[in-house]
Amino acid sequence: MRVLIIVPAFNEQEALGGLLGEIRGLSPAALGTELETVVVDDGSSDRTAEVARQGGARVLRLCGNLGIGGAVQSGLRLAARESFDYAVQIDGDGQHPPSELVHLLAAAKAAEKPDLIVGTRYHKQGDGFRSTLLRRLGSWWLRVLLRFVHVRVTDPTSGYRLYGPRALALFDETYPYDFPEPESLAVARAAGLRIAEVPVTMRERQGGRSSIAGFSTLYYMFKVTIAIALTYLRSRKRVAKENPTDAT
Amino acid sequence: MQPEPAWRLGSGTLIFAGVCLVIALVLLRLVLRERITLQGSMSYLSFLVVLGSMAVFPAQANWVATRLGFTLLSNFFFCTAIAMLAILHLRALVTLSKVQLRSVVLTQELAILSEKIERVEASQRGDYRAPRAQTP
Repeated sequence: MRVLIIVPAFNEQEALGGLLGEIRGLSPAALGTELETVVVDDGSSDRTAEVARQGGARVLRLCGNLGIGGAVQSGLRLAARESFDYAVQIDGDGQHPPSELVHLLAAAKAAEKPDLIVGTRYHKQGDGFRSTLLRRLGSWWLRVLLRFVHVRVTDPTSGYRLYGPRALALFDETYPYDFPEPESLAVARAAGLRIAEVPVTMRERQGGRSSIAGFSTLYYMFKVTIAIALTYLRSRKRVAKENPTDAT
Repeated sequence: MQPEPAWRLGSGTLIFAGVCLVIALVLLRLVLRERITLQGSMSYLSFLVVLGSMAVFPAQANWVATRLGFTLLSNFFFCTAIAMLAILHLRALVTLSKVQLRSVVLTQELAILSEKIERVEASQRGDYRAPRAQTP
């Protein structure tokens, strides 16, 4: 089984070296997979690409800043093109400990074979980083919204994800560009993909700064709410087209 | 003495028609210099033709305005101009979004191809530092 670890990074020179070291420390034999790592440098102005190369990763260097969605999709395109079995997204800020990858892979090998597995930080009690109250409130709102599109996840903003072959094919074609995590869940569900969730431990970012802060938090909530509503309407239209008798 | 109708062809309307003509000529010049495409500027040219025609033929414009329920020709004129500008803006937005999506795909493709070339070159050089898969 071949797995591509996708690390989207924008000005993450501080956190990236340590993260890549942790990835190199993973045991492919224990995981039962062949691992390859690609860092998608999203137009960084610091030494992100250099640090990634020194860390032994492949580097996709985007000539402009596309945002997290564009960066992740670049990695997913690469995974689909090079026929990887799975791709795992691990954020370049170090919030996602690579050691938790084992839980995602175990879920991928389960009998139900989910197409998209989300690592959630809200299942485990007491341990790990849980973000601020405002973010958790936003996360609650997104959970409520996503229920309208029949997506039941506890951590819709989590970027710690494993993509199966069907998810790779779908997101090679279409992937939301800014603030993509919740919207991509709605898109996946609308395309009939199976989504599962596994508990993981997360930690605080190891360097750099978040792109969602201050006014952009409001924009984030507004944009994602509209995007999920549109995806809901699109999926209803698709269902009506596929099953004309069920459309009410 | 009868009051002069507001829509009669006068110096004001001629000046406005002239302004429309000048803008249309500037637009055509930009097309000739290949700064903008003819296809992209067609809607803008149509907009200028409509506004210019309203200035040159105010009687006909007034006839249409009356039929549409406008009591003042100026109101009809502003409504037409605002509606057409809104359409032009929407069209520009559609074009811009298409270009934006294409540029994202091109940026991604460029990065993937560059990485592939770098890997091929590194393997040809026998570069031991080239990234390798972690195998069991």
